[in-house]
Amino acid sequence: MAGIWQVKNLDKKHIRNFSIIAHIDHGKSTLADRILELTDTVSKREMQDQILDSLDLERERGITIKLNVVQLSYRAKDGEEYIFHLIDTPGHVDFSYEVSRSLAACDGAILVVDASQGIEAQTLANTYLALDNDLEILPVINKIDLPSADIERTKKEIEDVIGLDCSNAPCISAKTGLNVQDVLEGIVKYLPAPKGDENEPLKALVFDSYYDSYRGVVVFVCLKEGKVKVGDHIRFMQDNVEYEVTELGVKTPNEVKRNSLSTGEVGYLCASIKSIQDIHIGDTITLADRPCAEALPGYRKMNPMVYCGMYPTDNNKYNDLRDALEKLQLNDSSLTFEAESSKALGFGFRLGFLGLLHMEVVQERLEREYGLNLIATAPSVIYKVTLTDGSVSYIDNPSLMPELNVIESIEEPYVRATIMVPNEYIGSIMQLSQDKRGIYKEMIYLDENRNQLIYEMPLSEIIFEYFDKLKSVSRGYASLDYELIGYRKSNLVKMDILINGEIIDALSIIVHRDFAYKRGQAITVKLKEILPKQQFEIPIQAAIGNKVLARTNIKSLRKDVLAKCYGGDISRKKKLLEKQKEGKKRMKAVGSVEIPQEAFMAVLALDDDKN
Amino acid sequence: MWKYRRKLSWLYWLWMTTRIKHLYLHVPFCRTICYYCDFCHRVYSEDLSQRWLERVREEIENNCFDQYETIYIGGGTPTALSNGQLDSLLSYIDPYTKEVKEYTIEVNPESLDEEKIRIFKKHKIDRISMGIQSSNDKILQSINRRHTFKDVKEKIALLRSYGFDNISGDLMYSLPGQDMKILEQTIDDILSLDLEHISLYSLTVEENSVFGKKGIMSLDEDIEADMYELIERKLTENDYIHYEVSNYAKPGKESKHNLSYWNYEDFLGISLGAASKIGNNRYTNTRDFGRYFSSEDIRDENLYLEKEDLEFEHIMMSLRTIYGLDINAFNKMYDCDLLSKYKEGVNDENIVVENGHLICKNLEILNHILLKFML
Repeated sequence: MAGIWQVKNLDKKHIRNFSIIAHIDHGKSTLADRILELTDTVSKREMQDQILDSLDLERERGITIKLNVVQLSYRAKDGEEYIFHLIDTPGHVDFSYEVSRSLAACDGAILVVDASQGIEAQTLANTYLALDNDLEILPVINKIDLPSADIERTKKEIEDVIGLDCSNAPCISAKTGLNVQDVLEGIVKYLPAPKGDENEPLKALVFDSYYDSYRGVVVFVCLKEGKVKVGDHIRFMQDNVEYEVTELGVKTPNEVKRNSLSTGEVGYLCASIKSIQDIHIGDTITLADRPCAEALPGYRKMNPMVYCGMYPTDNNKYNDLRDALEKLQLNDSSLTFEAESSKALGFGFRLGFLGLLHMEVVQERLEREYGLNLIATAPSVIYKVTLTDGSVSYIDNPSLMPELNVIESIEEPYVRATIMVPNEYIGSIMQLSQDKRGIYKEMIYLDENRNQLIYEMPLSEIIFEYFDKLKSVSRGYASLDYELIGYRKSNLVKMDILINGEIIDALSIIVHRDFAYKRGQAITVKLKEILPKQQFEIPIQAAIGNKVLARTNIKSLRKDVLAKCYGGDISRKKKLLEKQKEGKKRMKAVGSVEIPQEAFMAVLALDDDKN
Repeated sequence: MWKYRRKLSWLYWLWMTTRIKHLYLHVPFCRTICYYCDFCHRVYSEDLSQRWLERVREEIENNCFDQYETIYIGGGTPTALSNGQLDSLLSYIDPYTKEVKEYTIEVNPESLDEEKIRIFKKHKIDRISMGIQSSNDKILQSINRRHTFKDVKEKIALLRSYGFDNISGDLMYSLPGQDMKILEQTIDDILSLDLEHISLYSLTVEENSVFGKKGIMSLDEDIEADMYELIERKLTENDYIHYEVSNYAKPGKESKHNLSYWNYEDFLGISLGAASKIGNNRYTNTRDFGRYFSSEDIRDENLYLEKEDLEFEHIMMSLRTIYGLDINAFNKMYDCDLLSKYKEGVNDENIVVENGHLICKNLEILNHILLKFML
């Protein structure tokens, strides 16, 4: 088995490049695990659950963030040996950019659908993405071992909604391993081999990269045409820069060095590339002395949709934060940051993310992997502001919103949201969407149990709490996907939060005027719970301009003392105080008030928290 | 082993050069376990307590070298011991009592009897600290105390008849089921006892106490503060001095032993769970009976306190009393300038300098203020 990497004259008819498309929890990673096992790619000894998810965070949260690629070999029932490249894709809507990256390297895809749940909105979006990339799709019905599985209904849904033929769809249980062999056979039979000609000039798609401190940038490539070998001089077509290939290989999933890669293969390449900034995902690599005529189309880079400020609680850690961000960005090209400062929080950075999950993941990695204590301000979208003088500016930080009197209009990003929902929750989802300023567009009948709702709504509402509430009102059954459809005028205003009479710039938010009063109430109440008491009473106000919409007071601290403190208590009591002091360190001192991280998220306070 | 070490070790040298003036001895037995307590204690058994007594005798012989100015026998419940055991225990301490100015023992109303009082007298004990907790029998029951308020009154009268003129009562407030009205009644009842000293502790729900395990919650901060202020008002109106966070005394009757803790003086602790502070060192004895009986090394914690630790602890303890911290003595002791080094704390609006002492004028929020003294 181990010898297959030396297969000579690898015939590309025996190669299959594919990814797995699935909704979160529909069993993608489990199926990948089973495939790895069945092809003996990973021995039982090395096997750990969800092997493709190599970031700790991925395993903990059960999500895939970075895509990963693995080469495996399979002896099919026709007696032939095949090489598969399985390219893993993230399932969460935040990471759809990563999905499009991996799909471009594939010729086919497996669509995994949970037989007890049916198709979900994100699966649908990713499937369409695959169809746009001209990928063949093999539907796989998973979790048929569950009592609630309904195979026929699921097949019918796939046929009706996506229009895929399900007559050959394997029905499996990735968990128990039942019929997983059929998936492997299906890949051989129904997914196409890569096209391309190995005698043509090299044309390799760059679909991912990461930085390695010993070898420089490791570039993941999919060879669409031609061959490449160690020592070749290669050219990155976008910037027209040349490097010498120092190492080639495939992931099995461990790295296995190779002398050359050929058409249809997916592997990695090192060429002493110093910085990840020098690499553009979607770029085409060709040979310097025998270049191809034109580059691959590449793909559109997705721009950040959500912004927030991140500040070290200890101002002296500013440089550490910058270093950490630079390092993170090495392997996360969708993360953007630039320096900003806040009157309340000092010096920090404004970070751009693909979505809220992306933001959470980044913050968690900064704190966990780089040992930083951070304050993150509430996320914001980018507003397009037209001033009375006709000039237009884009504002990603609410505190920078110009004064009311110079604003002609404010526009905000709108999305088209697709919600798939079981019939019994339609009413509550419609109510929720309406509360979040959604504009009803249409309802598409999926089958007797489920419908698809289409709304247009502000992106800010979606990222703030729509998604969480959608899950709670539908008890987890509704799924959501959205795409940006452009900017629209809205009646928006900046709401300031004043603590102890002082505007805390980092707490300012942009709200719709009709919801301002309610939001202001909810935020002040929430802040009252969160802010630690001081020796004096602290007023909290929400205001638009000079007009105060809501006000509450934090009562002054009255009792905080250890009742007993004798000789034997000193150590213990001191430790208590040290713990209290440690908690204080995680807060940001703003004037005479201390503000903990939760306060900055409180401005997203659910309107009905207190009802 | 100990004897050998005593001759050679720097500890021995330290003991010889530093006179320790205060002794604490912990009696780790109780007849029943109170629900709020997480102190070092076992339910009394004849056999165990006898072994303990022998081991304590050894510990005293190996560790006590001074004539102490204050001695405090605490617990647990010292009166949980049998009369014979109590007599033995106190006789082990007798050699160190020649210069004693205050000699306290903790007692429980139900286990105190005339014979024990006679033993106290015999061994020069001159101060009694009685665990009263509440005057409300229902509440007493609810925290697993086995006495009534009637017992308290009888035992105090008995003590008085033997000439004890320095009696302290321990009480608790913010107990489950206790409201302002019950508390006020309790204070009135306590005032009627005309004690020299009263300690009133708000309930701290300790993780390892029965309350902690039951998940009892502390009272709301505002109610606790109201109770604290009621207590302060009523006791000071009746000529008690509120001299420490939880302690009240008739003039001149402040606890000398406890003041030594708050003045951050050195002290020696004997028996299970007891702590000692000697110069830069703090030791805490094991709470494990097995280890206490079998090993010569009975220290759980053996801590060298850096200068900064000493300074902060000194401040932390001293600010608990209305007498505060002697600034000159502090500066001399640690070769520093308190007022500039601890500026953030000193600048707190509740911290004042009076007659060369740094004093906290709002003991109710002392923790909050102390954080500002943490560098």
